[in-house]
Amino acid sequence: MWSKGKGKKRSLTQINDNSDEVDLFSKLTTKDKDDSDMEGGSSSDSTDSEESEYSGLEDEEDDSSEPESFEEMCDSGEEEGSDVVGTSDNDNEKMRNDVQKFKKNLANEKAKHDGENSVQMKVKKKAGSIKRKSGETVNGKEEAASTSTEVTVNVPDEYEYDSSDEEDLRNTVGNIPMEWYREYEHIGYNLEGKKIIKPPTGDELDNFLNKMDNPDYWRTVVDKTTGQKVVLSEKDCEIIKRFRQGKYIDSKFDPYEPWIDFFTYEKMQHPVTNRPADKRSFVPSKWERIKVSRMVHAIKMGWMKPQQEKRKEEDQPKFYMLWNNDEQVNIGLTISDITRKYRSHIPAPKLQLPGHEESYNPPPEYLLTEEEELAWKNKDPEDRRLNFLPKTYSSLRQVPGYNELIKERFERCLDLYLCPRKQKLRMNVDPEDLLPKLPKPKDLQPFPTTQSIVSTFIEQLSHSYGLKVYKGHDNIVRCISVESNGQWIVSGSDDQTLKFWEVATGRCMKTLPVGGVVKSVAWNPNSMLCLVAATVGNDVIIINPGLGDKLVLSNTDNLIESYVPTEAKDTAKVQWEKYSGEEEEKGFRLKITHFKAVGHVTWHGRGDYMAVVVPGGESKSVVIHQLSRRRSQNPFSKSKGLVQCVLFHPSRPFFFVATQRYVRVYNLLKQELTKKLLTNVKWVSSMAVHPGGDNLIIGSYDCRLSWFDLDLSTKPYQTLRHHKKAIRQVCYHKKYPLFASSSDDGTVIICHGRVYNDLLQNPLIVPVKVLRGHTIENSIGVLASEFHPTQPWIFSSGADHTIRLFT
Amino acid sequence: MAAPMFHENVPHIQAKFYTSQQQLLIIFTVGRCQVSQMRDLLMYVPEASESQHVAFDFLVDGEFLRNSLQLHMESKGISTETVLNIEYVERHPAPEPEDSLVHDDWVAAVEAMQDYILTGCYDNTVRVWNSEGKLLITIPGHGAAVKCVAWIRNDEENPVKQFVTGSHDETALLWQWNQEKNSVDCVHSCHGHAGSVDCVAVDPSSTRFCSGSWDKMLKIWSAVSGVDDQDSEDVGEKPHKRKKTDGNKIPARVPLMTLSGHQEGISSALWLSDTEICTASWDHTIRIWDVEQGMHKSTLMGTKVYFDISLSPINNLLVAASADRHIRLYDPRTTDGAVVKVTFTSHTAWVSSIQWSTTHEHQFISGSYDGVMKLWDKRSAKAPLYDMQGHEEKILAVDWSVPQYMLSGGADNSLKIFKYTDKSVEGMH
Repeated sequence: MWSKGKGKKRSLTQINDNSDEVDLFSKLTTKDKDDSDMEGGSSSDSTDSEESEYSGLEDEEDDSSEPESFEEMCDSGEEEGSDVVGTSDNDNEKMRNDVQKFKKNLANEKAKHDGENSVQMKVKKKAGSIKRKSGETVNGKEEAASTSTEVTVNVPDEYEYDSSDEEDLRNTVGNIPMEWYREYEHIGYNLEGKKIIKPPTGDELDNFLNKMDNPDYWRTVVDKTTGQKVVLSEKDCEIIKRFRQGKYIDSKFDPYEPWIDFFTYEKMQHPVTNRPADKRSFVPSKWERIKVSRMVHAIKMGWMKPQQEKRKEEDQPKFYMLWNNDEQVNIGLTISDITRKYRSHIPAPKLQLPGHEESYNPPPEYLLTEEEELAWKNKDPEDRRLNFLPKTYSSLRQVPGYNELIKERFERCLDLYLCPRKQKLRMNVDPEDLLPKLPKPKDLQPFPTTQSIVSTFIEQLSHSYGLKVYKGHDNIVRCISVESNGQWIVSGSDDQTLKFWEVATGRCMKTLPVGGVVKSVAWNPNSMLCLVAATVGNDVIIINPGLGDKLVLSNTDNLIESYVPTEAKDTAKVQWEKYSGEEEEKGFRLKITHFKAVGHVTWHGRGDYMAVVVPGGESKSVVIHQLSRRRSQNPFSKSKGLVQCVLFHPSRPFFFVATQRYVRVYNLLKQELTKKLLTNVKWVSSMAVHPGGDNLIIGSYDCRLSWFDLDLSTKPYQTLRHHKKAIRQVCYHKKYPLFASSSDDGTVIICHGRVYNDLLQNPLIVPVKVLRGHTIENSIGVLASEFHPTQPWIFSSGADHTIRLFT
Repeated sequence: MAAPMFHENVPHIQAKFYTSQQQLLIIFTVGRCQVSQMRDLLMYVPEASESQHVAFDFLVDGEFLRNSLQLHMESKGISTETVLNIEYVERHPAPEPEDSLVHDDWVAAVEAMQDYILTGCYDNTVRVWNSEGKLLITIPGHGAAVKCVAWIRNDEENPVKQFVTGSHDETALLWQWNQEKNSVDCVHSCHGHAGSVDCVAVDPSSTRFCSGSWDKMLKIWSAVSGVDDQDSEDVGEKPHKRKKTDGNKIPARVPLMTLSGHQEGISSALWLSDTEICTASWDHTIRIWDVEQGMHKSTLMGTKVYFDISLSPINNLLVAASADRHIRLYDPRTTDGAVVKVTFTSHTAWVSSIQWSTTHEHQFISGSYDGVMKLWDKRSAKAPLYDMQGHEEKILAVDWSVPQYMLSGGADNSLKIFKYTDKSVEGMH
């Protein structure tokens, strides 16, 4: 190995000797020169680069791991490779110059270089073996020892000439174009500072002769720095030749040597341990079995449902929506709907991109005029559309620093910090949609819409037979009642009269003075009887008005006459009295005197019983009279409150008693309380029962009208607050699905209230018409209203002394 | 005649005029002339053509021209390109108020025959007036307000006139009034209704009459008076003694037929022919009854309470007054399709009473609770021909049985007489 390396070195130096004239090498990397310097043994052994190289080798030696050292070797190989390519052209010359100086060290020097070169060659071939390497390191050690000795000798001289590691020290002008010395006879300066005189150049003739005579002329080149002629050796020519051909310079180098794969790329698997497999690895797990059996049991019992096999998605080609935005793509196919629901990603709010206004040189239409600028300045910062004033600059350079930057960044951070993390599901509901769909009033006709007949206080004078006065009431008309056929109505007033009217013409047929304020009046609902009950003071007066069918009138009178007194005692403290004489002629029939003032009176549907409210009667505040037997009774032994009004159920033996806040429903047969309706109002004023008997409306002094579905609940099914003032009376129509409420605000409101036979369908309540016409006097408006029994007409009476018919 | 020159910047139309009244026939054409001036132009035409001044009314497509032609064409959507056919008729002169007959109480019923006017009053009396406005006789006989009256027209020469009255006292009374002696006999008392008798109607042959009542019944009675009445009792032979004073002795009469079917009271009845009766009721229907078979034939359904109906003797159309502001025109012969042919709207309150002209094909009068009697033309639905004011209260009854007199009785205790001279009718007859 050694011999081999040495031989090689020798040959190299030989080449170098001959290659002085080749400019090609001078152009090669500067490193070569440096190396050649060192090689030349010009006491440059301990230059930095050399040192590092050695240290690298030493490190390599210390390091036990192979790959690293291999890398090192590769590195150094590269360096040396270049060295090899451009081995310094003037090895021999240097030696010639400095041979006396470094005679002592020459041998060592050579040895070192040889070692180096041998390593380099080996690495370059990439065929170096570990063995060789070890040899090399041995060599390196020797070398180190030798250099240390060398340093001790050459310390003072080292920096004198070796100031630069790149210069060719034969000529100290450095790496300059040599043309600069063209005018001069010297070509530079040597180390001593003496001019290097250009060698004499022959003229054309000499050259020609030279060319002709000198067989080596073709391989003679001029060294630029020294101007000497150098004849290239055979070796050099060979190198140049190979170089030009693009081959490896060393003809012995074989790039296709077989590759020894020390570190295979294949992954190998080896068992970690050699232990035999556990028993549990092939015996089924006990715990798993228990778990599975539990699951099987659960599936059997239906507690758990076996997971359905997911369809293999591989079969189906995967598509994705190309035009979706990123979020949709992300969410769309990969995440299931449930997870999307819980972690729907909310992107951070984006900053608005700068527009033309933000430009340093915006188009003139974006610049604000003076007025706009003034307006901008006067506005609050929050109200400004732009938070800056667009300004124009001739160049971007002149744009000043933006003093709002910190603030804006801060606000941006705030925005990001405060931006919602969770999607809030806001109910985006149009309030109109929440309202129930009610039919249009137009579709719910017929209902009363216009005022048709007004009975007012007009005196009419007749010519021939003196004075006859047919007039309306001249005081508040408190109550009205319509005959069951709808031909007549009766009205009671504060002017202490009862008046009977013909519906078709509005003619007052009869006026009966009763000697007191008429509180309530009720026409007997039995069409076979013609009787009117009116409450005046402590009395209930029963009147036969003498209107209508004569047969009915006589029947009525017969019924009253046919009374045979019995011994039965009345529970109520009332007194029955029969009119006679002149008053009987007028139509008065019976008078029932109570112990206190009576209020509301109502008939039972068959017309025999009559219920009267005695407002101050405490426990006897409700009295029920029987007409045929002239008996009276107090159905209640205890006072439940201030009774406002009472009502008989139209078809069943129920009795409604309205106190201030509650409506109690009694079963008259069983004599028990059936139901107690919670009205939720402050003070009930009146009530009316639907002719079907399952629905009830109440009006209250606190402006509310409540509809009760008796089958549904004891609470109001619906409460209407259409009136602005107290409701005085409510009423149902007997045939049409209408109900009405009359109020102190001077209006009567007609509502459509359809009750369905289907129990599941709730009543349909639609307010359809506000009837105005009554004027308010002393803050009392309409006191009473009642529907015509057969027509969609309503009568109303009020504090303005009139009775009005709306049709 | 040449069309006058008018401004150019207003639409022009071409019109063709014609008339059905031969004595007014003038042949003339009007070229393209200005629409807004058309009415004025037309006013000139008669003056130019005849020495005598005649006022005209114009009909476009069978409808009266009530405002300017331009507005009319705009409202009807008639193109100005078409040639307009305009019929012209002589304008009816306005009815003139002639007299006001004052009663003691509301006048609920009125009917005229020849020179005599019969009124029923709320003071339970029936009055006979002559056309001069002189009260001939006051007949107390009913026990309650008289709601309806009807003459029985049999022999015009006979001085003994007969009439029927119905009342709230549930009876209809058949009367004989001796014109010469000015004495009145109650011939028969027709009992049977169980409600107020609201309407009576005498059949064309004057042998029967029908009465409608609040008790929903329609009853048909014999109108033949006196001796030949088989139902009358022993007192039947002495008609002159049957005075109103001895009401108990008035022979009672039972109905020939009772027709039931209405759900509510009958408010008006009339005979379509000898065998057909038409009734209007509070149950929103108009029913036609076949008297011979004694059953109800057809029904016209309405939406409002009917107060009165009237049949034109000339064109057999029916107008009905109902409990709203409108008067509706029906054809009793059709029962299907759009029942209401025309709706006349001008009144402001319930229309209580209505009556066709007996001589004019298109005209009728109506009385309303707004106190105005209106003369209508069938061809003018939006506006009446004339409003006749005078009543201070509701009008309860109107009558136009005698073509010269329009009568209206009302709640102001008076009967108003309007004199009406129909030249065209005179000319035609």
